[in-house]
Amino acid sequence: MKNRVASPDRQQDFLAGVRACMPLGPGILLFGMVCGAAAAGVGLTPGQSFALSWMVFAGSSQIVATQLFAAGAPGWVIVLTGWVVNLRFMMYSATLAQHFRGESRGARWLAGYLLTDQAFGVTLARVLDGRKDIPWFYLGIAAALWLLWQVASLTGIFLGALVPKSWSVDFVVALTFIGVLTPLLRDRALAAAAVSGGLTSVFLVLPLKLNLMAAALVGAAVGIAMEKLWPTSRSGA
Amino acid sequence: MADIAIWGVIAALGLATFATRLSFLALLGEGELPRWLKHVLHYVPPAILAAIVAPQLLAGAPGLAATLDGPRAAAALAGFAVAWFTRSTFATIAVGMAVLWGLTLVQW
Repeated sequence: MKNRVASPDRQQDFLAGVRACMPLGPGILLFGMVCGAAAAGVGLTPGQSFALSWMVFAGSSQIVATQLFAAGAPGWVIVLTGWVVNLRFMMYSATLAQHFRGESRGARWLAGYLLTDQAFGVTLARVLDGRKDIPWFYLGIAAALWLLWQVASLTGIFLGALVPKSWSVDFVVALTFIGVLTPLLRDRALAAAAVSGGLTSVFLVLPLKLNLMAAALVGAAVGIAMEKLWPTSRSGA
Repeated sequence: MADIAIWGVIAALGLATFATRLSFLALLGEGELPRWLKHVLHYVPPAILAAIVAPQLLAGAPGLAATLDGPRAAAALAGFAVAWFTRSTFATIAVGMAVLWGLTLVQW
């Protein structure tokens, strides 16, 4: 792919990306606030809570780390489990890389740091539309989402304690995950992976809080087994 | 956990996550994921998301004697229905929280 030199184009692509984040705004703000509030709520300092937000910058992984900190899990279990939650980024990275071949190293590293489900999802839809403005469009939406996330986290960290416990705001986390999970259940193999992962985490209690790791492995194994035994359980394989 | 250890855990998780995100972007898109890894990565997200959600629908701790918390399970089911038909995370949260608050108010 030829590298585009004209910078006004890039600026326009970038701004188009920024605008494309608008529909995602409310959900991101709410989830970010809950993640910030959760981290501060289990006793992490504001600095540590905010570090989760900009160093890890992945809501589900931040929530997992927060819960494991609260449960007193060993550090290596927290790092390992939080990282497994983020393994999916490797798939996104592989897809995005094809569109970043003509870009500078700085742009590629920034693209990596800013990578999220939402930025990738919206950009992928644009790729499938056949658009050619992918790199800077992606950087636009990814940067806008990053900024929203940090603002939301700080709000949650400093104001989260003001929300009464009786409002059960912690349940927003579960609902957010349901919102992210549901569209993933595109076929029976994926649904089986989800169901077996959920059941494993409910019924299996392991030492060192390794339950989530086990649930991820069991779910992946069940999904793959389904696909092998009943090939029709996977759509578009 | 000691303060410094917490910082270490956050930094390690942050660096591992960054490395994962950067992986193929840094390699200029050369190379591809091995097939088996693609398979595993395909199924890990739904499994782990469900694993995070499920224990939050329980009345007590996970284990063989686990029982559902009525309002939370109902709210999750409502959220699932909304997510299925609208694909909107925000609507999922709004309806789910409304159901949870409603059922809690009537002390179900």
